[in-house]
Amino acid sequence: MLKNYFKIAWRNILKNRGLFSINIIGLSLGIASCLVITLYVADELSFDRYHEKANDIVRVVFKAKVNGEDIKEAVVMAPVAQAFQQEFPEILAATRLRNGGSPKITYNTATFRNGRFAYVDPNFFKVFTLPIIEGNKISPLEEPNTIVLTQEEAKKYFGNENPIGKILDFKDQGERFRVTAIMENIPQNSHFHFDMLASMVGNEEAKNASWMESGFFTYLLLKNDYNYKNLEVKLPAITEKYMGPQIKEAMGISFDEFTKSNKIGLLLQPLTDIHLKSDFSDNSTLEPGGDIKSVYIFWAIALFMLLIACINFVNLSTAAATKRMKEVGIRKVLGSNVQQLISQFLMESFIASVFAMLFAIVIVILILPLFNDLSGKELHLANLYAPEVFLGLLLLVFLITFLAGGYPAFYLSSFKPVAILKNKFVGSKGGKGIRNGLVVFQFVISAGLILTTLIVDQQIRYIQNKDLGYNKEQILVLRDADLLGLSQESFKNQIVSDPRVALVSNSGFLPAGASNNSMSGILINDKSPRRMVVYDIDDEYIPTLDMKILKGRNFSKEYGSDSLNVILNETAAKILGLGEDPIDKIIIRATDNQGSRQHLTVIGLVKDFHFRSLHQTIDPLIMLYQPNGGFIVKAKSADMAALIERISRIWNSYGIDEPFDYSLLDESYNKTYLVEQKMGTILRIFALLTIFVACLGLFGLVTFTVQQRFKEIGVRKVLGSTVPQIVGMLTMDVLKLVMIAMAIAFSLGYYLMNKWLQDFAYRIDIVWWVFVVAAFITVFIAFVTISYRSIKAALVNPVESLRSE
Amino acid sequence: MILQLKNIFKWVQQGGQRVFLLKDINLEVAEGEFISIMGPSGSGKSTLLNVIGMLDDFNEGEYNFLNESVHTLKEKHRANLYKQYIGFVFQAYHLIDELTVYENLEMPLLYKKHSGSERKAMVADMLDRFNIVGKKDLFPAQLSGGQQQLVGVARALIAKPKLILADEPTGNLNSKQGQEIMALFKELNKEGVTIIQVTHSEKNAEYGKRIIHLLDGRQLKHAG
Repeated sequence: MLKNYFKIAWRNILKNRGLFSINIIGLSLGIASCLVITLYVADELSFDRYHEKANDIVRVVFKAKVNGEDIKEAVVMAPVAQAFQQEFPEILAATRLRNGGSPKITYNTATFRNGRFAYVDPNFFKVFTLPIIEGNKISPLEEPNTIVLTQEEAKKYFGNENPIGKILDFKDQGERFRVTAIMENIPQNSHFHFDMLASMVGNEEAKNASWMESGFFTYLLLKNDYNYKNLEVKLPAITEKYMGPQIKEAMGISFDEFTKSNKIGLLLQPLTDIHLKSDFSDNSTLEPGGDIKSVYIFWAIALFMLLIACINFVNLSTAAATKRMKEVGIRKVLGSNVQQLISQFLMESFIASVFAMLFAIVIVILILPLFNDLSGKELHLANLYAPEVFLGLLLLVFLITFLAGGYPAFYLSSFKPVAILKNKFVGSKGGKGIRNGLVVFQFVISAGLILTTLIVDQQIRYIQNKDLGYNKEQILVLRDADLLGLSQESFKNQIVSDPRVALVSNSGFLPAGASNNSMSGILINDKSPRRMVVYDIDDEYIPTLDMKILKGRNFSKEYGSDSLNVILNETAAKILGLGEDPIDKIIIRATDNQGSRQHLTVIGLVKDFHFRSLHQTIDPLIMLYQPNGGFIVKAKSADMAALIERISRIWNSYGIDEPFDYSLLDESYNKTYLVEQKMGTILRIFALLTIFVACLGLFGLVTFTVQQRFKEIGVRKVLGSTVPQIVGMLTMDVLKLVMIAMAIAFSLGYYLMNKWLQDFAYRIDIVWWVFVVAAFITVFIAFVTISYRSIKAALVNPVESLRSE
Repeated sequence: MILQLKNIFKWVQQGGQRVFLLKDINLEVAEGEFISIMGPSGSGKSTLLNVIGMLDDFNEGEYNFLNESVHTLKEKHRANLYKQYIGFVFQAYHLIDELTVYENLEMPLLYKKHSGSERKAMVADMLDRFNIVGKKDLFPAQLSGGQQQLVGVARALIAKPKLILADEPTGNLNSKQGQEIMALFKELNKEGVTIIQVTHSEKNAEYGKRIIHLLDGRQLKHAG
């Protein structure tokens, strides 16, 4: 019996090769997309979970609003860790990390520069799971000037030598570290990736008792299963206890008074939230994280994709099944009972779904390297080798089997055989209604995705073309130039003399990409300091970056010393309340927390420029005349390769053991929006795939409709209907559904995209013609899909369709 | 006696009125009979055949089949009854296009839970008897109409039914093929199979031992 079912199933497949392929391709594309996205999402969600105690670790973070400035930092003050541990017994351990950047390191005679370095407290290895494979496994950082390297990093310095006990020389810091242990490389799904962790024991900054200076990533290991919220509510009291006296001393006001106009607070963030749910300022985080919103968006797409594919499958299977009415009738007359028919149909859809599943896995294997390229991830199929995944896939197979096989199985087999055999059966209205509903649903998603893609595209293009207040094109950035020391001036002169160079500025501050960072408190109304970004620049800076001076003048050598003069951006002038004409007014800068003051004369007002991502509004910024920190070169033409080559040769002629390193400002800028761009690309690809699958479904459905109406078309033609009339009739049926779908999709899309755009401080407005374009594309795609079959059917000689009766 | 119909009525409601498909049909069929049902289009021939075959139900009357009163049986029970004792032959053959001749013949046996070797023997026997051994691996579409109907009859017979119901078995065939099928029926009847056929053709009706005439759902009483 089973053999007979298989036989029938197989011969049906061969007979309907076209429809079957459409069906399988659609379903396997859907499953494959869903699997790939699941891999991606699972990876995003897996961040930092490799630590054995991941669920009991929280990070202390700092959120405040001081004199109108929103501060969100992932780092806190040095004494926080110790104070908390003393105050709260529920904290088993508190450990700190201080980012040390990529210092120059010498071993024997060789120099290295690219290692990522940090200081950590000795108990760091007790809180985090960072397995040590060689050396002191118990307490590698107990002594001062000890360091732990990753396997990979150790290889860089020592090759195959035994690294334990070797000394690394950090000449610039004046420190030497002894290697005490080697740890495994840090997994890719971690919120930090350091190659070297040095002991914080003996570090001067780590001993700083000030609750006013920040800079330490602080992690707490809580008691097992302790709810961190219970601890968080106790933090304000402790903050007041420790910070209060220091505020009093520095500002002369009590903590209560201070918090009347300001908000300040230490909060806790679970370790597993760090990657996806962080909104801290860029300069206070270790690595750019992910975004929980894009995870949701991808989830949604995966789900849609799977849903569309399943709907297709169900739709086409049920449509195909009505062709088999006759078989059902015969089987019943010949003695089959309902159960037997049901199991036959279920068997068939089971075969097809297994087919699709296997095919989908092949697709995933083929597509994964491409997707990794695109998303910048390292996803492996091996990540899918988990019992839950297999169970999930198995469930999916059964679900699809029952959805796709269930309708024909239960519906068709319930009919009386006479009715079927006598052709009294005229298709079910209900079945048609369901199919139409499903088509509408598919097109809601397709049209919605088309609209979404268009709007995301527009926003990305808007970002890329927005007037930033400066010109990022043809700018070469040489931030390492301060390594030349005293030779900087002659190096600069050599570059300036090149005919391809327009301007050269001496500054390490850049509005995009890696930049020096500095902030100062500027007194508002001569009283409370408001932190503002400080740019150290020279007289060439503003022309080099093509910024606009709105009032006053640029720094200039002609005016003698500009060292006590300042240029403000518009926002700073506004916040300081300098009125219409800020020129020649005096502002007061706090140079430290002890009350030192510096009076600066405003000589210029520069037009606001975007020095942070467009997600944020423009912050106040002041510019001081303090040339340092590398060179910024404006080239005359867009062809920079030759110029870079030339500067590289000049660099090497100075004979320092530093490689030539440069960046292009426009590239750095684009990298800022990598997340959006990646999302845009992935969205576009999956939108295309989804639409493709939906079209497959539509194509199959029209094929089926045309077959069903074969005779009707013949009769109509005999009665004088023209080809265009018939095509129109067949097309209108479907287009009506598409119209309904678009109405739903566009209102939903409008709502959701507005939400998405809220995330950008600078964003496009959604304009009416986007809907027109999206509608046009949707209708066009639908029309092309159905017209082929419709036209073919309309052109058939009516004799052929009527003869068969 | 195989079956007995007593005062069978069947109607449908159309616009508040009863339209009778069968009106007061009384019929007794003895074992070994060969009955032809005749009448113009729409006279209720096929409906009567379907009622006899239990594929269709009726509104009033009594139907006894092999001492079981069909009108009181549940659907499932009824289905078991016809599966066991009745073979059907259709005008349009109704073979399954995706199955070969051999597989088409085998199918009714699959639903009756015969063992594999049993099925093999029965199908081989049937192929032999109808002289279609050479065609066993062909699909219906590869056969002529007469050959397809031959397979149709063979399939109806394979489960050894007591009664064969044939609804215009020669309707789609040319006259020569039609004659062959009718000759086959006559022979089967001689071997003891009870046959009821519906036909349009006087000539084919003559093959039967008894002719029942229907008009507008009513049995015409006359000699025969």
